Amino acid sequence: MTVPDNAAMLGKEVPVEKIERELRILWEADEARTNASLMNLAVYSEASGALHVNSDIIREITREHACRALLIGLDKSIEEISVRAWITAHCHLAHGRKSVCCEQIAFHLTGHSRGRFRNTIFAHLQSDLPLIFWWQGNLSSMFSESLYRRIDRLVIDSSAWIDTAKQFEKITEAIRQVNLTVQDLAWTRTYHFRLAIASLYDDPTASKSLKNVSKVKIVVNPEHKVSGIQLLAWFTEMAGWERTQDLISDKEDSGSYRFLTDKGSIVDVELSEDVNSAAIGKIEVISDGVTVCVSREKGSKHLRHQLQCGGHELDLHGPADSDSSAELVTDQLSRGGKNSLYKKILPFFLELLGK
Amino acid sequence: MVHPSMSNPFREDLVSRSRPEACTVVIFGATGDLTHRKLIPALYNLAVDGELPPGVKIIGFARRDKSNEVFREGLKELNQEVSRNGHDEEIWQDFENTVEYHQSEFQDADGYKRLADRLDAIDVERGGKGNRLFYIASAPEYFDDILEHLKGAGLNESSEGCWSRVIVEKPFGTDLPSAQHLNKVVNQTFEEKDTYRIDHYLGKETAQNIMVLRFANAIFEPLWNSRYIKQVQITCAEHLGMEGGRGGYYDKAGALRDMVQNHLLQLLSLVAMEPPTDLSADGVRDEKVKVIRSLRQWDTPELVAENVVRAQYTAGHVHGKSVVGYREEDRVDPESMTESYVALRCMVDTWRWSGVPFYIRMGKRLPKKATEISVHFRSAPNVLFNATPGDTDEGNVLVIRIQPDEGISLRMVSKLPGTTLRLEPVKMDFHYSTSFGKGSPEAYERLLLDAMAGDATLFARRDEVEEAWKFIDHIHRGWHESDKGKEPEMADFVAGSWGPEAADDLLEKDGNTWRRL
Ligand SMILES: NC(=O)c1ccc[n+]([C@@H]2O[C@H](COP(=O)([O-])OP(=O)(O)OC[C@H]3O[C@@H](n4cnc5c(N)ncnc54)[C@H](OP(=O)(O)O)[C@@H]3O)[C@@H](O)[C@H]2O)c1
Repeated sequence: MTVPDNAAMLGKEVPVEKIERELRILWEADEARTNASLMNLAVYSEASGALHVNSDIIREITREHACRALLIGLDKSIEEISVRAWITAHCHLAHGRKSVCCEQIAFHLTGHSRGRFRNTIFAHLQSDLPLIFWWQGNLSSMFSESLYRRIDRLVIDSSAWIDTAKQFEKITEAIRQVNLTVQDLAWTRTYHFRLAIASLYDDPTASKSLKNVSKVKIVVNPEHKVSGIQLLAWFTEMAGWERTQDLISDKEDSGSYRFLTDKGSIVDVELSEDVNSAAIGKIEVISDGVTVCVSREKGSKHLRHQLQCGGHELDLHGPADSDSSAELVTDQLSRGGKNSLYKKILPFFLELLGK
Repeated sequence: MVHPSMSNPFREDLVSRSRPEACTVVIFGATGDLTHRKLIPALYNLAVDGELPPGVKIIGFARRDKSNEVFREGLKELNQEVSRNGHDEEIWQDFENTVEYHQSEFQDADGYKRLADRLDAIDVERGGKGNRLFYIASAPEYFDDILEHLKGAGLNESSEGCWSRVIVEKPFGTDLPSAQHLNKVVNQTFEEKDTYRIDHYLGKETAQNIMVLRFANAIFEPLWNSRYIKQVQITCAEHLGMEGGRGGYYDKAGALRDMVQNHLLQLLSLVAMEPPTDLSADGVRDEKVKVIRSLRQWDTPELVAENVVRAQYTAGHVHGKSVVGYREEDRVDPESMTESYVALRCMVDTWRWSGVPFYIRMGKRLPKKATEISVHFRSAPNVLFNATPGDTDEGNVLVIRIQPDEGISLRMVSKLPGTTLRLEPVKMDFHYSTSFGKGSPEAYERLLLDAMAGDATLFARRDEVEEAWKFIDHIHRGWHESDKGKEPEMADFVAGSWGPEAADDLLEKDGNTWRRL
């Protein structure tokens, strides 16, 4: 049997069939702690060394979200079927007073067996609490209907995928079959940009100018192109624009798009990549005499909201989405909801992705 | 009026709450404590969370001569101390640039004219959106002046497609006639739909959760009536006394007027109301006011004596420190007849609540700080386990903790482990702080945002305030206007204890006892 690196950091190794008993012993050992849980949070990865990285992530997330965490690391390179388990608790002082703890069970699996993988997870859930499943990396053959049928919320990061379009086929299929609630961290990264755009368009002059937009510029970091396309899909879908085949310099993958507004005018969109940009660096919407721009410097914790209208100007800072996956998941869990907006823009996004 | 979400397609599905609109907030009494400790930090924290609409301007109106810089510096100093999300200099810089100081006396008509000019100029700078939110954070004796001058300067009127609203701080009157007078003055200046009477208790997370708990969970509402509920208790305990000179104000107000008339009757109405037909401001407030209107009136000295206990604390110990009695406190009349403690037995005369007493108690210098509501269910029929040892005849109790340590707990009876059948109460407990690590927004954040969004659900309506005063005034009259020798007695209790014996007797008559906190 193989042992993941840094296994000691995962806590106490326990026989799989004794996990619940060992957890009870863990709690009884220290009465000063409160065990809290509002959900089952499973984190799955097929990358080597992921278990201890994810254990650190869970430590962060449990500061705000009490849960039972299940970490699952699968090493498919080894054919022999095996499973080992470790338990530990992450404790935090709540308001400097009470020590609140969340339990974590880490599994290291080898070999390829979907049934065993599912059973291992489902046998260790806390009953009645929702299951949030964070799938890291590509959706492998382990991602099956009998798994996602029982998931309340699936967390993915589509910007980390190889072969993005193929992966999205699996997601759309899951949505079609079980109306799965999907929370894509690539989409979460656009949250404050969307809020900022929405609030700038509360301005009556900006709002009126939407009819006359001639150009939209989006700048993204190459690693986050998916977020850029999602932001574009959202903006154009909300503005009620339609894609037109009336193509401009349509070099393959050139990042240029052309849209028709409901008034029949043409808007050119340029989505460019810049290695020095933040995940999303900028969205700038230019129309007759009005420019709306939301931007972020790489590493900055703030977005810059700018509005230039004929008569008045705005230049403010607002919060930005985090660069850390742990924080994005934390924010996402706080917001809850069924993510219906994401589902709404998905078809259009896929169309733009396929370009 | 066109709501921005209608003209702004990007709002769709983005956030579920109604969206606040850009406006200018004018705070009257801006050099005061409330502005520095609550209002500005609340607005700043909204900016940090990205909730404050861009284009918001804040104008502080007060008497002292101050430059913008000095005013902002003072605000910053306090924000650094009290802000919920900490103090981020970059966001503060932006925020601070939206804040201005306007020096004027409340009684000076010219000051309001200058204010109107400045507001018009801001509207132009902002692109023509003339929404205004006037926050009256002054002592109540200035309400009339401020409102009348606002009207005089035409500031109560809004331009087309825009709004002009007023937020009024407590105390909203000191009795029914003064509240009616204030309401008259306010409503001569602003329409009722533009009047927001703030009750920060309603902005607290757990208070908002009462409706969710009742109406989003199928298990409570079928039991939420006199058939299954024996009594309800609302406790607001404070360990503080009259520190920091607050005796001057308090000795004029007393526990009944300071806390019961507004906060505690609001909590009572949330617990006792019928399900509203919708969640609109008036849908909810229509049901709340019916509860207050259904309160049986204690309108004779005898009824007051039977159903209300008033008391003052005498010297004692709180949190291990010795403290003086109420009448020895700074700025309190040594012969004061103002209650620092009050306990009431209220009857809500509706079909649902017939015969169920609602007990309210509020006091200073009690053993600890705690505000909570407890709903005591009737016991299960005592036939199966009546011979078993243990605590079986106490029914289930649902506790909603408002502050501190917000949460909900349910007491149930369970079997003690062992070979014999012994029953003991156990508690299922839900703590906000341990389940949701993220702190709740301050009540003022939520309420300011609601006022900017035009959502008055969490604000008191005129009829609610007046009905509450009507109920309170009867008691007050019973205490202070009864014939000599007939007035209900003023009890006392040692500071640091849970109130006078008379308050225990009040419940004992019904076969109940106060919940131990
Ligand atoms: N403090 C709280 O936490 C709190 C909580 C709930 C409700 N409240 C209520 O809120 C109101 C204000 O409380 P506060 O504690 O902020 O009071 P405060 O500290 O005494 O402040 C009073 C404010 O009114 C201004 N002022 C007084 N007379 C004036 C005049 N003639 N012309 C212009 N400005 C004048 C003062 O300005 P100058 O300094 O320039 O004289 C100051 O800015 C009260 O009704 C109180 O009951 C307060």
